[in-house]
Amino acid sequence: MLERLARGGTITASGIAEKLPISRQAVAKHLAALRSANLVSSERVGRETHYRLRPDPLDDAARWIQTVSAEWDHRLEALRRSLETRRGRSQ
Amino acid sequence: MRLRDEPGNDVAPWVERETLIEATPEEVWEAITDEDRLEEWIAEEVELDPVEGGDASFRSEDGERSGTVQTVEEEERFAFTWARPGEGESLVEFTIEAVPAGTRLTVVETPIGPTAVAAGGWRPRLARLRGSLALAPVA
Repeated sequence: MLERLARGGTITASGIAEKLPISRQAVAKHLAALRSANLVSSERVGRETHYRLRPDPLDDAARWIQTVSAEWDHRLEALRRSLETRRGRSQ
Repeated sequence: MRLRDEPGNDVAPWVERETLIEATPEEVWEAITDEDRLEEWIAEEVELDPVEGGDASFRSEDGERSGTVQTVEEEERFAFTWARPGEGESLVEFTIEAVPAGTRLTVVETPIGPTAVAAGGWRPRLARLRGSLALAPVA
């Protein structure tokens, strides 16, 4: 369901239930949980509630993990090279 | 993404990386605790007092980080905190392990302290996400 939301646009509980082997009630309950976690926003359009993904909080964490991982890969490679070069010189 | 449980039912993102080095644990220990040796790989200018509670500062092209040495266990574990001015603090923990091919060095960096929570506020949100996903058994 998050995958579907991640593709963008809005979804409705009945729209999702039509495409997945689960009941509309189960979908609605899941969407409500996502909304209380502040992960989706909702808007009432006529009789249906339209949900949209709010990507910010997970993006922040993912960005931090990506940046810090790349920094350490870079540093550890420099450390490994430095130690192995030193060892090559002393042998 | 990796999440780790912390005391108080909180979750935090963390980064764990490792490298295998053809060197002894003693050589690796020196390279991660001696300020002159640290300048060969971690930052251009390093000042570090390798005792628990000692000051640590790292200056490089992308700015300065400073913090405090937390753990010193000879040839096994070394940890310090660091932060850029005005940003959240992280704990950096190194673990050294002798393996047949040399030494495995693992580093774990974890954001700590109230600033980490305030910056973007993703820690409480991740905790709520975990709760909401556990609630509904839907793909």
